[in-house]
Amino acid sequence: MRVDGLSFAYPGAAWALCDVSLEIREGEVVALLGPSGSGKSTLVRALAGLVPHFHGGRFAGCVEVAGLDTRRTRPADLAGTVATVFQDPEDQVVMALVTNEVAFGLENVGVPATEIVLRVEAALGRVGAGHLAAKRTTTLSGGELQRVCLASALALEPRLLLLDEPTSQLDPHGAEEFLAAVAELGCAAVLSEHRIDRALSLADRVLYVEEGRVLLDAPVDEAQSWLVTNRPRYAASPSDVDDALCYRNTESGSVRPVVKLERVSFAYGSTSVLEDVSLEVRGGEIVVLEGPNGSGKTTLAKLAAGLLEPDVGRIERFGRAAYLSQDPGRYLVKERVLDEVAFGVGGNVGRARGALDQFGLGWAAERHPRDLSSGERERLGLAATAVCEPDLLVLDEPTRGVDPDRKTAIGDWLLARAAAGTAVVVATHDRTLPAHRRMRLGGEVPVAA
Amino acid sequence: MSPGAGTALLAAAAAAALLTDRLWAVGAITAVLLVVCLRAPAQRRWPYLIGALTSGLGVLLLSPLLWSSGSGTLLWEGPTIPVVGVLDVSTDEIRIGAVNGLRLAAVGLAFAAYALLLDHDRLVSGARFARRSALAVALATRLVPTLERDAAGLSEAVRGRGVELSGARGYATLLSPLVAGSLERASCLAEAMEARGFGRPGATRMPRAPWTVMDKVAVALAAALVGVAAWLR
Repeated sequence: MRVDGLSFAYPGAAWALCDVSLEIREGEVVALLGPSGSGKSTLVRALAGLVPHFHGGRFAGCVEVAGLDTRRTRPADLAGTVATVFQDPEDQVVMALVTNEVAFGLENVGVPATEIVLRVEAALGRVGAGHLAAKRTTTLSGGELQRVCLASALALEPRLLLLDEPTSQLDPHGAEEFLAAVAELGCAAVLSEHRIDRALSLADRVLYVEEGRVLLDAPVDEAQSWLVTNRPRYAASPSDVDDALCYRNTESGSVRPVVKLERVSFAYGSTSVLEDVSLEVRGGEIVVLEGPNGSGKTTLAKLAAGLLEPDVGRIERFGRAAYLSQDPGRYLVKERVLDEVAFGVGGNVGRARGALDQFGLGWAAERHPRDLSSGERERLGLAATAVCEPDLLVLDEPTRGVDPDRKTAIGDWLLARAAAGTAVVVATHDRTLPAHRRMRLGGEVPVAA
Repeated sequence: MSPGAGTALLAAAAAAALLTDRLWAVGAITAVLLVVCLRAPAQRRWPYLIGALTSGLGVLLLSPLLWSSGSGTLLWEGPTIPVVGVLDVSTDEIRIGAVNGLRLAAVGLAFAAYALLLDHDRLVSGARFARRSALAVALATRLVPTLERDAAGLSEAVRGRGVELSGARGYATLLSPLVAGSLERASCLAEAMEARGFGRPGATRMPRAPWTVMDKVAVALAAALVGVAAWLR
């Protein structure tokens, strides 16, 4: 695979990629790092031929995959040679049954009917999802669905596998398993990923992209030295980050409770999610809710924010609560960024502008929210929640798909909110966020000694 | 039962409900379709059932008021409304309103049973022609639960910012973002499908299971149902 002098701009936008040149050899795993909006996803799409064919725009230079020039070969014709797994599995699943989903690509590229069944079984087996074959895709968890997407890509037996932040929806265990499955593949792969430690452990080579330019293209060892010197947040190991960002103030938080959950139980229909859970959060305190997918973190967060009522138990809130859902970029209501933020404060444009400036989005006030990149939308969601200045701030996975720089900024912002007396509850898998207490569902663990 | 045979049977039930004008026959078809729909999981079936039954009920209630048959016993005569005319209700209008309401409910329930109970994937893979259209229909069918989930997410996001939505006007504000979100989702799906070779010439299909005796009986029953309904007109 060869990229030569590639530059690309989406219609009516500035250059997303500038003069990118690189080569990927057979069987090589390349980690693609860089901040949100740096052009990583665009580069992945260019390698799949989706840029320029699907998106349009200005395209210069050349991308060749297995000898095929992507300017003259449509993405559908590259399928099989190239396979792509995108960030959100829900946006790429076509069929209702897992077996049919994995078979979909094979049918499209014309694999003989008798071979399809065998390749579907083999691909599901390779990602440890053989037991899901007869299930409906709508009944799978995010982690299971992402494995099915990987199986769909592997079934094609591609020469180049493109993975665009494939673990952003997964809990740490799910992400480990997913990347372990990728490590077993043997084909060339490009892995765009914000979980840097995992990406580096898997890769042979690292590409670091910023503002559409490749700043680094080097083997892992050499890349790590460069990152330590030039982009230290991209080089830190998770344990280092934990130590650096844990908020070690045992005296933090006032005695004033902002929310008290007493022996709370909750079930969705007949499925029990939480049983006999108690939690008290005081003003100025950050409590992180931890646990694997399906452990009830989101449900507990919604109960704390007052979006759900418990089946059993009692909840008392002393003050106003605000809640930021997972994937807030999907749930935008207004047609102007400024109105989106002002929506929660009765249209107060002055406060909305202040919140936008705080999250570095002042420049986008007049734009349509859906014109923003995914990272910018996440920040817009935070601004729209922060502007309410609640007594209790509840955030559900606020750092999902967020780059290390932005994560640090969010951590600092949480600390500032806590220092101002706000009680903060964060449901997250991310151990780099600051916390006074971490509550693993089933047992509370104080972080500060 | 194979989805092809199931679809034929449901389509025949809907066609029979539209063909016959006997109240008992349309009522029986509607009742059977309702029982079939109740086999679907409770969480998934309620939007379909509410949609189908309220539409039918709406026709049943409004049609006798707004349309004059000129026959039957006059039960009530109300004021004259501009454009609409005299509001009145007669026994004949109630009967015809009931038939039309049940017809609409039957068609809605047949679609609900199709959406909730059939394996659309097998229907797509079984399509001998117009596979793209069959896939488009299958994807459109799956849009309902996705929209439902997105609407719940939007409502939650708004409430999470301290804004309470109330009344039809309040919820109507979510309509535009809901449509914009589903268009965005459709674009992402189209991109993923293109990347997986959709539309490339020379597509093959996974081997299909042969039709069983039950499938053949179902198709015969579907044909008979339409025939009897036409005969009962």
